[in-house]
Amino acid sequence: MTRLAHLWDQSRCIACGACIAACNAANYGSATEENKTWRWLRSNIRRVEVLRGPRPMLLLVQCQHCENAPCVTVCPTGASYKDVDGLVKIKPELCIGCKYCMVACPYEARWLDERTGLPEKCMGDECLSRVSQGLLPICVEVCPAGARAFGDLDDPSSEISRRLARSRYVRLLENKGTEPKYFVVVGP
Amino acid sequence: MTAFQEIWAPWLIGPFLWFAGIAGMGSVAYVLLKWIGVEEKRKELSWTLLISMALALVFVIADLSRPWNVASAIMSAVFGGTFGWTRSWMAVGIVLLLTGLLLTLLLALRNSGVKVLAPLTDAKWFDALLALVGIAITVYSGFLIAAAPGVPFWNTPLLPVLWIISASLCAVALVKLMIHHEAMSKAATRYGVALDAAELLAIFALINLALYGGSVAAKQSAHTLAYGELAPIFWIGLVGIGVVIPLLLGLIMLKKENKYLGIAAAVLALIGALLLRVLVLQAGIFEPII
Repeated sequence: MTRLAHLWDQSRCIACGACIAACNAANYGSATEENKTWRWLRSNIRRVEVLRGPRPMLLLVQCQHCENAPCVTVCPTGASYKDVDGLVKIKPELCIGCKYCMVACPYEARWLDERTGLPEKCMGDECLSRVSQGLLPICVEVCPAGARAFGDLDDPSSEISRRLARSRYVRLLENKGTEPKYFVVVGP
Repeated sequence: MTAFQEIWAPWLIGPFLWFAGIAGMGSVAYVLLKWIGVEEKRKELSWTLLISMALALVFVIADLSRPWNVASAIMSAVFGGTFGWTRSWMAVGIVLLLTGLLLTLLLALRNSGVKVLAPLTDAKWFDALLALVGIAITVYSGFLIAAAPGVPFWNTPLLPVLWIISASLCAVALVKLMIHHEAMSKAATRYGVALDAAELLAIFALINLALYGGSVAAKQSAHTLAYGELAPIFWIGLVGIGVVIPLLLGLIMLKKENKYLGIAAAVLALIGALLLRVLVLQAGIFEPII
């Protein structure tokens, strides 16, 4: 079985925003209109900052491709589905735009593309195309700090499996029971 | 400013839930009235149910971001085997609302003189089906919200219960406004008082459980309603005008029925039911990610 997953290394990230800009460029043609859901640019990566408190922190949040994805469960038509490669994908032809997937996702990983009415999320079309050709998603490809990895969790020799084996990591909102496949590395 | 969810528009989905509740429990009231032999305003009541059901659909469709794709996507999902019959409350709702629309349409036509429908709509099984679908529509609209894990304030079994109490109050309000049969009016007052008291308790429980036992986001939602920026409309609009005043008017009418007080209580209860749904939606907040 294949279980494709993302890794983001918080301890290596230099917060340059290259992944966010590359996602926007590759998947949305460098569109400059606002993503009104996140009040952000048209990119599938959301930047969450905690500026106050004892430990200021930056977090990059995107679709977690959950094993137990609420967006898939609540979708009335099966437009949101989990593919055999373990990624959560959208079939636009089945989407009625009820936005149930958006309120069901505890990570707020989806945003509404007002041009198409589709709830967009990672991965966009270009990244899916790249992955199907054996390439890395664009955010992983462009990261100058090597803070990102992508690959098959069920393959012990994959980059992501090797990095997870030697790192301390957390998964976001684990108490929600979603079994997310987005690993946040917090140190060696 | 609090970061409320803005995905489901409260003034579109709120009225949708409200009309669904009116049509749902109104259908139950229609069947009960028929079974106890109240003939008055049967036509008007059946048209009210049909219009409510249709308006519920209009409001929910107005919130869709791809309304042009509804028919094609649903047909493809049904025939392609991906329709969420047993998985998604939204899918269950689509089936229930369309069934409800068909049943109330048949009923309205029958009561408007299309006698050919009488063997169908006058049958006991039709009444039972109408009441069952009515209850299911009301309950489903509660589960629809409660089963969205992104917004913790909604994730409570109290919502479907609160929805059914509040929709029952809407049905009582319809009876109060339309039926002038004396015994029926008195019964509606009694049920109204009991339901108002139950609703007050359920609203108190919803806020209290979230405030003292909920997650960070649920606490924040409840706090916003009880003490924060939504507090004026919550206390004055929902609790005061929508529940307490109708309850007090009901208590007065338990001693002596009064047509005008009855109308006032019914209208205020309907406003309260709408505000309840809008406020619950408006107060939805996502759990902080860190």
